[in-house]
Amino acid sequence: MRLSTPPKPLVARLQPYLLIAPTLILVLMFNVVPAVKTVTDSLHKPARGLNAAGKPPEFVGAQNFHDLFDESHYLGARFLRSFRNTIVFALATVALGVPLGLLLALLLNHEQPLLGVWRFAVFYPSLLPLIGAASIWSFIFSDSIGLANAVLRSLGHPGLNWLGDRTLALLSVIIVNIWKQAGYFMIFFLAGLQNIPRDIYEAASLDGASGWQQFAALTLPLLRRTLLFVIVISFIFAFQTVEQLQALGEGGPNDSANLLLYLIFQNISERRNWGYVNAMTIVLIGVVLTFTLSNFLLFERDESN
Amino acid sequence: MKPTGGSLRRLATIVKAVIAIAFLIPLIFTLLVSVRPEAEPVTNGNIFFGSELTFENYERAFVIAPWSLHYLNSIIFVAGVLLVQLVTVTCAAYAFARMRFFGRNPLLMIILLQLMIPSGVLLVQNFRMINILGLFDTRIALMIPYWGSAFGVLLLRQTFREVPIELEEAARIDGANLFQVIRHVYVTNAIPAYLAFALVSVSSHWNEFLWPFIITRSQEIRPLTVGLNKLIKTTDQGAFYGQLMAGTLIVIAPLVMLFLLFQRQFVESFARSGIR
Repeated sequence: MRLSTPPKPLVARLQPYLLIAPTLILVLMFNVVPAVKTVTDSLHKPARGLNAAGKPPEFVGAQNFHDLFDESHYLGARFLRSFRNTIVFALATVALGVPLGLLLALLLNHEQPLLGVWRFAVFYPSLLPLIGAASIWSFIFSDSIGLANAVLRSLGHPGLNWLGDRTLALLSVIIVNIWKQAGYFMIFFLAGLQNIPRDIYEAASLDGASGWQQFAALTLPLLRRTLLFVIVISFIFAFQTVEQLQALGEGGPNDSANLLLYLIFQNISERRNWGYVNAMTIVLIGVVLTFTLSNFLLFERDESN
Repeated sequence: MKPTGGSLRRLATIVKAVIAIAFLIPLIFTLLVSVRPEAEPVTNGNIFFGSELTFENYERAFVIAPWSLHYLNSIIFVAGVLLVQLVTVTCAAYAFARMRFFGRNPLLMIILLQLMIPSGVLLVQNFRMINILGLFDTRIALMIPYWGSAFGVLLLRQTFREVPIELEEAARIDGANLFQVIRHVYVTNAIPAYLAFALVSVSSHWNEFLWPFIITRSQEIRPLTVGLNKLIKTTDQGAFYGQLMAGTLIVIAPLVMLFLLFQRQFVESFARSGIR
């Protein structure tokens, strides 16, 4: 109220728009327009045959989506496998990484000797580039001269083909992701724990509640919002973290460890697949949008008013 | 109560130590393998140390990729993103925090779309957009999708709102214009938020791989992560893990050291960055 004095000159009225223009234009150019264009391109197929480069793409309705969900189509089988893997990857990260992050936060929440060392040990993986983290793990998982098999063999086990085995490859990628993300999840839990007043625990202790009872009856309910938040963002991240595949077998063997965004990346420059990569992106956007929207509705609403 | 408390604490220490060691093993072995002769893999002899300490892996890693050039490119990339972001984000955050104008909330919602449909998943169309703009294989192409930051706008808008409006009114009475008000009243009172934003921005773009990889061709502008990719692909054929670990350390060292220096700020900044 105080800032809006009645008759303002035109320049002053334009000021707010000029201030937000750069951000607005950039978001329109690199988020909104691309999102809309993804929808339209997913409904088209590139023209084929001679001189196809000059011809406009052909409208095919939902055909691209039909093909993708068709196991016998050349990309459909790959898409379905990668989509299923992405969901397994996301669920496993949430089911294992989030509890690990919570455990770490509970262990490192209070002042203690070597706190800096403990926190460094569990948090440094979140700072590494995904591709650097993956490069490290490519050595650990290496079949013939890797660390994991060196340990297994010293124990008399013949060793595992971590990245080359169809059933193991996705698990290996999941292990890397949990190692990378647990420390990141921890910091949200640490922030959540800071907001719980200490005297609640003192009162519970006086009433004779054990450590476990305090955790189940006090900590967990009071951390509910944080827990929900971490679960949602870990899903959102899981659908976007694919760069590690570049060093961990490129989604192979036979797409058994491929993830959706990586499959899109692998097909981005093939002209004939343009409709398909856009249709795949729509599926990806659909999933991510579901989680980001629920995140927004759950947590950001109070902030934006 | 007392005895369980003591044994619980001992159990906690053991759990902590086990997890910490498990998490550190990859880093420790990266270091060990990088200074071990390539001809003596960990499967051969002592698992920790080779017969001698050697830097030949680093020398070979330097032959495969021009790391100092990649360093420079990464620095230009993250600095170029951050500097422009600081300007765009500050302007938008001030407008949304303190100005009343027609369409304010709908326009904010449009900007927030960036948080709902992150640029990462729009790889395909952003690739096309860069080609349409004729920016393929330029430094601008690397940076431009990140120049607008909805996360930054939200973070600073919140911070600016907590600055007492009396400070702005006093500055206005003293004759300060809009940019002086933003600079001396708001920016000066939001330094911790800027630091948080800068740490998140720098570390996430320093680590970016997919976008720089598809949008550039020339080694002259490619950042460290793309250089590391080249080393990974070279290693694939011969399994030269010594040089790969050396190269990986070259890439990750600055962030790890930055973290050692600013541990608390990093943890706090990341905690605020739930959505990037």
